Amino acid sequence: MSQSPSSTLSRRAWLASTAAASLGCCGLTSPLRAESAASPRKQLLLLFLSGGASQYETWDPKPGTTTGGPYRGIATSIPDVFISELLPHTARIMDRLTVVRSVNSGIADHFQGHYALQSGRVAPGYPVLGSAVAKLLERPGDVLPGYVSIRRDGPKAYTDVGDAGFLGAKYEGVRIVNSQPPANLTAPAGVSPALAEAIERVREAADGKFRQNRDGEPIDRYDTTFDQAKGLMRQREIFDLSKESPADHERYGRHEFGQHCLLARRLLQAGISCVRVTHFDWDAHQDNFYWHQIRCAEFDRTFVTLLDDLSQRGMLEHTLVVAVGEMGRTPKINNFAGRDHWGRAWSMAMAGCGVKPGLVYGATNDDGTEVRDNPVRLGDLFHTYLRAVGIDSSAMYEINGQTNPIADPAARPIEALLA
Amino acid sequence: MAGVLTVAATAGGPLHQQIDALVEQRLAERNIVPSETSSDAEFVRRIHLDLTGVIPTAGQVRSFLDDSSPDRRQRLIDELIASPDYAIHMARVVDVMLIERRIPTIRSYDVPSPAWRSYLTQAFAENRPWDRIVRDILTSDGTDEANAAGVKFALVRDVEPHLLTRDVGRLFLGIDLQCARCHDDPRFDAYRQADYFGIYAFLQRMTAFRDNKQNVSLVGEKADGGTMFVSVFTAESGETSPRLPGGEMIIDPPLEEGNEYVVKPEAGERGVPVYSRRLKLAELLPRAETQGFSRNIVNRIWATMLGRGIVEPLDLHHPGNPPSHPELLAALDEYFVEEGFDTRALMREIALSRTYQRSSMLPADSGQIPADVFAAARLRGLKPEQFAWSLLQATGRIEQCMEALETAQKSDEATTTDEPPAWKTRLAQLEPLDRQAQQLAEVFAGLPGQPAGAFQPTVDQALHLLNSPTMVSLIQNAPSTLLARLLAITDVKPLTEELYLSVLSRRPDDSEVAEVGRVLESAGSAEQERETLTTLVWGLLLSSEFRLNH
Repeated sequence: MSQSPSSTLSRRAWLASTAAASLGCCGLTSPLRAESAASPRKQLLLLFLSGGASQYETWDPKPGTTTGGPYRGIATSIPDVFISELLPHTARIMDRLTVVRSVNSGIADHFQGHYALQSGRVAPGYPVLGSAVAKLLERPGDVLPGYVSIRRDGPKAYTDVGDAGFLGAKYEGVRIVNSQPPANLTAPAGVSPALAEAIERVREAADGKFRQNRDGEPIDRYDTTFDQAKGLMRQREIFDLSKESPADHERYGRHEFGQHCLLARRLLQAGISCVRVTHFDWDAHQDNFYWHQIRCAEFDRTFVTLLDDLSQRGMLEHTLVVAVGEMGRTPKINNFAGRDHWGRAWSMAMAGCGVKPGLVYGATNDDGTEVRDNPVRLGDLFHTYLRAVGIDSSAMYEINGQTNPIADPAARPIEALLA
Repeated sequence: MAGVLTVAATAGGPLHQQIDALVEQRLAERNIVPSETSSDAEFVRRIHLDLTGVIPTAGQVRSFLDDSSPDRRQRLIDELIASPDYAIHMARVVDVMLIERRIPTIRSYDVPSPAWRSYLTQAFAENRPWDRIVRDILTSDGTDEANAAGVKFALVRDVEPHLLTRDVGRLFLGIDLQCARCHDDPRFDAYRQADYFGIYAFLQRMTAFRDNKQNVSLVGEKADGGTMFVSVFTAESGETSPRLPGGEMIIDPPLEEGNEYVVKPEAGERGVPVYSRRLKLAELLPRAETQGFSRNIVNRIWATMLGRGIVEPLDLHHPGNPPSHPELLAALDEYFVEEGFDTRALMREIALSRTYQRSSMLPADSGQIPADVFAAARLRGLKPEQFAWSLLQATGRIEQCMEALETAQKSDEATTTDEPPAWKTRLAQLEPLDRQAQQLAEVFAGLPGQPAGAFQPTVDQALHLLNSPTMVSLIQNAPSTLLARLLAITDVKPLTEELYLSVLSRRPDDSEVAEVGRVLESAGSAEQERETLTTLVWGLLLSSEFRLNH
C-alpha cells in the first residue's frame, strides 16, 4: 500500500483512479476478460442440494437395474435423453440445461465434499465460490455486498463450512436466515433522519480535517463502508419478499425453497454478484425414495419457474444457475430403503450464462456404479463456473503480499461445457 | 546468525538508537525525508493503544499534555509498561496471534477463555521470557495444573496434526509451509516438503482425548507412527524422523517392545508414551539456535508496534522475501536473545525510538512514500479489542466501572488480608465490562484461522456503528458518563475540550471550538442541547481519527 498526498485528491477522484487500477487494496492480475463496464454484470446462483441428491432419482436414472430403484426414466425435450420421472417439469426444459453425469469427486463425506465443492479444492483455507465470485466480479463503486447466502436456521453443521478465507470479511457471504434481512438496516428508535444526517455531517467534517497531509487510503476505505451502509439502508426493500406479487409467490411455491428462490431472484435483480440458496434434507439414508419424491417435487417446479422467470426478464443471459449437492448417493440400496454417501459417480446441472444448453456430458456405466466417459472433478467444475461468468480461472489472487491461484492449478475448466 | 550483520554505525548505544540509525541510514540512501516527531497528543494516544490496548482517559491526556518535563515520554512508557494493563493487553494480543479466533469443531472441547487469558496475563505480568511461554504451551497436555491452559493451542485446532504443523511453522517460526504438505513449494525454494514433514513428525502422534468424568479435553500421544510423504508433482517419496527446518533428525530412542507406554491408550485411557516426540519439540523449538524462532517473534512484535513487519507477510520468511531492513532485524534479534527473550524490554526499546515516535502527518510534497521504509507513522485500524475497549473508554464506562468498585471496596475495606497481584485485581475490576467488550470486538473481528492482516472494514460494521441499539445505549444511557459530563459544562471552550480529550485524545483547535459553539448556539431547549451533544459524540466516534491508530 502506498501513501499518497491525499489532500490534493478528492475521494471521488480517488475512487475513479483506483477503479482504473485495481479494486481496493488487494490487487489481482486481471482475471476478468475484457468487458465493457456498461454490459450487465455476470452473476451466479448456486442452488445447493444439501446432503447430496441421488443421481438415480434425478439426472441419471437406471430403471430396471439392481441399483436403479423403483422410479422410471421419462423422455425429455432432448431426443433419447431420459431423466427421473420425479422431475417432469424439468424434463420439458432439458434442452435449456447443461447436465454432467460423470462427476467423480471421490469424496463421500459431508464436510469434505461441501468444502471441495465450495472451494474447488481439497487443500484447506481457500475462499468459497460465492466469496470468490463476489471478489472477482466486484465493480468499483459497488454498494451492495457481493455474496448473499440464503438458508433456513438449522441444521448448522457442515453447510456452514467454508468462508471468504484470505479474501477477508468483506467477501464473506451475508447470511439471510429464515428470510430475515441483515441486522441494523434501519435507524434505531430515537434516531430521526435529521439526527442521522447531523451525525453524518460531524463524521464527514472530522474525516475531512484528519485527511489533511495523511495517507488517504485507509480513511477512504473506512469512509466507503458508510456509503455502502447508507446504500443498503436505502435499498433494504431488496430483502422484502412482500414486495413480490402473490402470483410470483404462488408459482415459485409457498414452501421454503420456493420462497428462497424468489428472494434469490430479487437479490440478483438488485445486482448482487452471487447468491446461494441451500435446499436441505437430501441426505436420505432411510426411505430414499419417499424423500426424493418430496424433495424433487419442490425442486422441480421451482427450478423451472426460476429459469423461466430469469429468462423472461432477460437475466439468464448473464446469470449462471448451478444445481449441485456435495456428493451423490450409493448405487446400493441399504436395508432401510436408503442410499448412503457416494462420491464416485454422480450428477449435477447448470443453465444460463456461459454454458452450452441442451448438453448432457459424460456417462456412467449401465448400473451407475462407475463413470464410463469424461470423468469430472469438483475442481474442474469450479474452473468451469468461473469461466462461464467470464473469469479467467487460471489467474492469481495477489493479497497481502501472498500469491494464490484462484482455482486449483491441478484441475481445469471443461471446455466442452462452455458456450 | 545474530550479530553477523551488525554494522559499525550501530555499534554500542542502546537498541532504540541503533533502530533509528539503521532506519535513517536507509532513508538517506533512498533520499526520503521522514515525517516530524509526533505531537504529544499523537504520542499519548498511540502509546496507550500500543502498550495498554485502549485510548487514554481525558484526565490522562490532560496531565500528559500539561507535563513539560523533557523526559515525559520515557516516563510514560515506563509507567505504562509496568502497569497491569500492559499484561492484560499483551495477553489479548498473543491470544489473537496464537489462537486466531479459532474454536474447536465441538465448541465445548476447549479451554475456557477466562482461564486462558488469565494464564497469559500472568505470564506477561511476570514478564515470562518468550521461550518459556512457547515451551509451556507446546508442553501442555492439559493435566498439569499450573500449565493446563496452554493446551488450548492444540484444542482449538482439534489436535489435528496437519493444522498444528502449519501453525507451529507460521506462528512460532514465521514460515507458512502449507503448500509443502503436498510438494516442495514451487514459489520458494526454501520451503521443502521434507521440512513440513519434519515438523509433522513431531506432532503426528498426538491424539485428542476427552475425559468425560472431569469434563475436560486433553492431549494424549501414541508411541508409534512413522512419517512417509509423496510429492503429488514428482511422485518422489521420502521418510523422515522429527526434524526442525535446518536442524538434525531426532531419532527415537530404542525402547524394549512392550515398554513404550507409561499409560497405554485404550478406551477411556489417555495415551502417555515413555518417549514423547511432542515434548521433544517443546524442548528443542523455543531456543535461539532454532532457525526462525526468535526472528519470528521479534518481527511480530515490531509489526504490533509499527503496523508492518520488517518481513511482510509475517509468516513468509524466506530468501525470496527478504526483510526490508536485514541489519535492523538482526539487531533486534540479537538484543532479544541476549536479554533472555524479554518481550517487555524489546517493546520498551521500540517505543523509545524516534522511528516509532514519528508523526502520521506526511511531510509536504512527499509524494509516494513506500510503506516499508518506516518514514512516517502508519495509519492502521484499531484491533477489534482496542476498538471495543476504546469505545468503552471514550464514553466513560471504564472510569465509571472503576469508581463503582472503589466505592464498594471502601465499604468493606478491613476484610482484605492477602493482597492479590495487581494483574489479578485489574482483571477482576474489568470483568463487569468484559462481556460487552467481547461482543463489540466480535463485530469487528476478522475470520477464524486467518491472520489479522490489513485494515479491512466492512459494511456490517458500519451498520452496527450507525444503527445498533448498543451504540444508542453506549452514548446516551448510564452508566456512560461522557454525555452527562458534557451536559454539566456550560462554557463552550471547556466543553469542547472535554469532548475532544475524551474521544480523540487531543485538545480541539480554535476552529473546532467555534464549530461546536455554533451548533450549540442553535440548540434552544435542554432537549435540543442533549441531542446536539449526542450528535457530536456519535459523529466523532464514527470518525477515522477514532477508528485508526495514527
